[in-house]
Amino acid sequence: MKIQLFASLKDFFGKELDIDQSISSVESLRQFLETQNPQSASLLKSCRFAVKDEFVANDYLLTDHDIISVIPPSSGG
Amino acid sequence: MTLSALSHQAAAVEVLTDKPIDLPGLLASSHHEQAGAVVLFSGDVRNHNIGREVSYLEYEAHNELAEKSIRKILEDAKEKWPLNIAAAQHRLGKVAILESAVVVITASAHRSEAFVANRYIIDRIKHETPIWKCEYYTNGEYSWGNNCNCAEITGDPDKHLYSQ
Repeated sequence: MKIQLFASLKDFFGKELDIDQSISSVESLRQFLETQNPQSASLLKSCRFAVKDEFVANDYLLTDHDIISVIPPSSGG
Repeated sequence: MTLSALSHQAAAVEVLTDKPIDLPGLLASSHHEQAGAVVLFSGDVRNHNIGREVSYLEYEAHNELAEKSIRKILEDAKEKWPLNIAAAQHRLGKVAILESAVVVITASAHRSEAFVANRYIIDRIKHETPIWKCEYYTNGEYSWGNNCNCAEITGDPDKHLYSQ
């Protein structure tokens, strides 16, 4: 699966991540990312996740071919 | 002008742009024969933030989600108040001091609805729309700044505390 990261998340993970292992849900992905970079944990708790340009809930089931966007809290305006 | 023509007019304003926002042009096209009040809010880039001298800002977005988010917020505002016009545009990329980063325009028969709806739209854009600013300082440093921190209080990234 491919992970797209935005704004301050890029400082932790870069702009894009390819993950070879299977991750079953959004919540598991959040935990996986926290394990990869523990300093990102508090930010990840405030992030939303999106697949195919739609926000998805924590229990959303992922497939290996999904492209998942991790959306930090907004800071526009 | 018919209602469908009005929706069309609002939809015609691009909600995201990487070019300078044309405030006079947008205002000029935001007058309506049934509207006695037009409110234009411009979020401008200032030269300081929390005691630091800002050189310029750079905005990035999840474009598809950001566009959908702003259009939904405008639709919600039109359902809540009788607006003749509700339009918004947010700048992406590098934005200089004095330039507009975001504009919201509302028009209604009387000023009360135009003011309150305008505030509602800009507050929701700032909290909900996936757009982020990066502040570049005159000393060469940068920081991703001023994120909405409602989730730390509500425990849910979809629940926000609005100032109004």
